Amino acid sequence: MLTTILTTTIYLSLLIHLALIAVAVWRVWRGENVIDRLIGLDVLSLLFLAMLVLLALVYRDSIYIDVALGLAGLGFITTIALAKYVADEQMF
Amino acid sequence: MMTTILQVVALVAIILGTFFSVVGIVGMVRLPDVYARLHATGKVGVFGVVLLLIGAVAWTPLGWGRALLLIVLLMVSGPVTAHALASAAYRIGLRVKEPVRDDLREI
Amino acid sequence: MYYFARAVLLLTLMYLALTSNLQASNIVMGLLLSVGVMALLRPQLREADGRRAGTAVLALFRYIFVLIWDYIVSGIQVARIVLSPTMPLHQAIIAIPSDCQSDLGLALSAHALTLTPGEMVVEIGDDGTMYTHVLDVEKVETAVAAAQKQREELLEKIFP
Repeated sequence: MLTTILTTTIYLSLLIHLALIAVAVWRVWRGENVIDRLIGLDVLSLLFLAMLVLLALVYRDSIYIDVALGLAGLGFITTIALAKYVADEQMF
Repeated sequence: MMTTILQVVALVAIILGTFFSVVGIVGMVRLPDVYARLHATGKVGVFGVVLLLIGAVAWTPLGWGRALLLIVLLMVSGPVTAHALASAAYRIGLRVKEPVRDDLREI
Repeated sequence: MYYFARAVLLLTLMYLALTSNLQASNIVMGLLLSVGVMALLRPQLREADGRRAGTAVLALFRYIFVLIWDYIVSGIQVARIVLSPTMPLHQAIIAIPSDCQSDLGLALSAHALTLTPGEMVVEIGDDGTMYTHVLDVEKVETAVAAAQKQREELLEKIFP
């Protein structure tokens, strides 16, 4: 009984996160300025992270959390590098 | 018995995490300028993912250590990202909308 | 010796977190690997007296607890502002002075300040002044000085 409720909740949460990803993509496409689009990208990587965690919950397999660990590090570095590029007009 | 407790914890964490994710995105759309949007995404958005990870710790076997490491990584990197984006925004000339006070403008 | 033990402990904890296995054999394996890595790398470690280790660990735990509490409160506060129909915003950028001298102390206290409810560091001046964006000026003006002082004292204890 409780397992059914839990599975239904996880699938609902996946659907909601898909809708949120659509909103974030819209923000990146039609942003007001550069920083707005960068915030959209940052949120996009966070939402992919959330979807990976939910997939780990669906399949009850921890390999997805490994992937999420890599994605978190990569998204963090990407956002920092892009912010530095926007601010200083150069990478290093 | 133990399974039931873990399932309830996972259920509550997933519902709360989805709620905070939705609040983060709503804040990104609704708030008036870049700095306020960074408050919404950098804190509330990360908070949603952390709650989902707590659900994963409770319900996914074998993954608790990596999930805890990911929580620590997110809690360290979230504010740093927000600070980098805010600093870049101020340097390219974006200002706060309707500020009560702006101490940085004089410098 | 204190710094060596701290590094070995951190490496062992990292190994245990990545393997997600708390059996005694795995713990021994992690300890051996960490000591091996530290012996091979031989980083330049400063010597410090071990008597302060107890207070440092206690202060570290208090600091982590304070940070997590701040995180929860700030999440709820921003959620309340976003979801209220009128959105009561009184934005401002205020200057908050800081006593920290070292780079590490400055970075950590900026991080802690960003986690405080409704605040986000925008720029750090040359003399360590933190220019902080706040969502609601009237609420934070008084509370922020005391909270910042407490965190800097804890940081002093952790990194002597």
